[in-house]
Amino acid sequence: MKVLKKTLLLAAISGSLFATAASAEQINLTWQMWTGSDADTKGWQHLADMVNAKYPDIKVTLTTTGWVDYWTRLPVLAASGQLADIVSMQSLRMPNFYSLLEPLNDRIAADKFDVGAFTPSIIGGMSVDKQLYGLPYDVGPWVIYYNQDALQAAGIHLPKPGWTLAEFTDAAKKLTKDGKYGFGITPQNYSVLASAWGDRYVNDAGELDLTNRSAIAAAERVIGFAAKDKVAPLVPSSADAGTVIQGRFYSGNVAMYIDGPWSIIGMKDKVKFKVGSTTLPRADGELTAVTAGSGFGIARTSKNKDAAWKAIQVLTSPEALQYLAEQGRALPARTASQSSWYKVAAKDITNGGEALDYSLAHSVPYAITNNWAAVENLFNQYFPPAFGGSADAKQTMESIQSLAQQ
Amino acid sequence: MSESAVAEIALQPGHPRHFLKLETQTAMLFLLPSFLGFMIFMALPIAASLALSFTNWQLISTPSFVGLQNYIKLFTVDPALYTILRNTLFFAVEYLAVNIIVSLTLAVWISSLKRGKAIFRVIFFLPTFTPTIAASVVWLLIFTPDGLADSVIRSLGLGLPNFLLSSSWAMQAVVLVTLWANVGYNVVMFNAALDLVPKHYLEAAMIDGAGPWRRFWRIRLPLISPTVFFATVMTAITSLQVFDEIFAMTRGGPGSATATLGFAIYQKGFTNFQMGYASALAWVMFVMIMALTILQFHMQRKWVHYDD
Repeated sequence: MKVLKKTLLLAAISGSLFATAASAEQINLTWQMWTGSDADTKGWQHLADMVNAKYPDIKVTLTTTGWVDYWTRLPVLAASGQLADIVSMQSLRMPNFYSLLEPLNDRIAADKFDVGAFTPSIIGGMSVDKQLYGLPYDVGPWVIYYNQDALQAAGIHLPKPGWTLAEFTDAAKKLTKDGKYGFGITPQNYSVLASAWGDRYVNDAGELDLTNRSAIAAAERVIGFAAKDKVAPLVPSSADAGTVIQGRFYSGNVAMYIDGPWSIIGMKDKVKFKVGSTTLPRADGELTAVTAGSGFGIARTSKNKDAAWKAIQVLTSPEALQYLAEQGRALPARTASQSSWYKVAAKDITNGGEALDYSLAHSVPYAITNNWAAVENLFNQYFPPAFGGSADAKQTMESIQSLAQQ
Repeated sequence: MSESAVAEIALQPGHPRHFLKLETQTAMLFLLPSFLGFMIFMALPIAASLALSFTNWQLISTPSFVGLQNYIKLFTVDPALYTILRNTLFFAVEYLAVNIIVSLTLAVWISSLKRGKAIFRVIFFLPTFTPTIAASVVWLLIFTPDGLADSVIRSLGLGLPNFLLSSSWAMQAVVLVTLWANVGYNVVMFNAALDLVPKHYLEAAMIDGAGPWRRFWRIRLPLISPTVFFATVMTAITSLQVFDEIFAMTRGGPGSATATLGFAIYQKGFTNFQMGYASALAWVMFVMIMALTILQFHMQRKWVHYDD
């Protein structure tokens, strides 16, 4: 009996010693992410728990903020040395913030991490000068969403992926009647549409070039939807013209608008009509669709970079992206996981999968400058008067070009 | 007592020499938290912003000293500065004038009421409780093209353009919303001052045959002039710093029609990451506010009557 007691005591002591040693090796990582709802936050928390499940010695603590606040807080946190270990990053913001992140090429090579499993355009979006700064979790080309009921009532054939600008304009004109508009446009749609038409607003050196003939021609077309053809409602130069237009689409006041696959889940619950989707209209040549997406990088200031590297591999693993796809949260950046998303999120959208497939097959890198946030701000300020007819495309582009360079 | 005796007493152990009276020490102790708060949250950031205005700090990089380059660029290169200054002054002057006139009129009207003074004070003061950003978003929806304001304008046949799309009218929308949000503060303040005007002055004037306008102009207004002066200075300072309404409603647009100094500082600092340049702009704003406040203090000698 005494022997048994001693044995148990020894086991208890050694167990507690091991436990102490294990807890000493526990690595605590912080992860900063944006969120749009409680369900969204729950999804990210699930991913954080997946890291802990695979690596019991790594615990990821998630902190979330709203989308707009995230981008104001990020530089402030960086400036005050409070960046999390894992930093969430959108491809369009990468040129502004890549210096905060750890370059990943060496780690990718050392671990033989398969970058080829991701859609190439989002790998491009998460890279600067061919150096990858984050592993992507989603990707999305901009497409046109349409009110199928309105199109059918106007006798318009449902548009096929790859439709032309002439077909699009004709449909928008037919749909503009009884105080309703065929198309809802925002200032920020300029670069997406100009890219789709093959027009260039950034030169070969990566500098903003809004005053070349091609960029102005694209601006004339975009402005023309509202100012000349009057198929699009006017928008104010406010904080978020995109939300205003989205709201008008949901209410049936606008029949077509531009958005990404990330909006599908919210859309289905808010509209009372059948929604369809197709590609952006192409000009004379082939469609060249741009994509955006987001992913996770490792903060340069992190003291646990190796653990963070393990963690972001889990956060972007096939299992994690499968989970996000099933939640309808995002079109996965991994090509193999995308079909799951089509089955769940896009199943009620007419031609939803086809539009995305076609766009991804015709996707090109999104040309942006390193001050793109400032440029988009100027689009927001200077396009609305042009939509209203009080400035022409050339004046508008010259003003933006001049102010963006200050 | 001789001088040496005084020295001996002062140096005796057990009788420490107090440089400050006990009550002064107590006062300083109570003032210390406030003083520390001022130093940490006011003086230090002010000094930091002055220092940063001589750097090219981009928020996520290490700042480097650039001398007066930000200020030189501001006044010689930046095509937007003079538009921003003009917009800021235009807004401040118009808003200040309208705010003082409207709040004074409402205060006089409320003080003339026999009943319901309190309820009207609450009604006009209520918007000052509302977060400006939230109120501005609601007003944005009202003013948005094809929104409520457009419907009213159309139905009344006023022939006005949409405010937020017109370079000439956008600032009027901002003035209107700012006025709605803040006029209640001055209304309550003027109302309180008017109520303190001695009744016998007004009764004597009435006996002498002075009408309401004359009584207001010759008696009530001079007697509340210190309050009007205070309200004018404070309203001028806040109007020169206008930001919330512009951020939520216009983002400085259409074009640059509503871009003011407050908005430009935010835009340069947090959108363009030109924190050094934004700090230089902040100091331009400081100089403007200081100059206008000094001017107001100088001018007050001519119209403010203190009951000395």
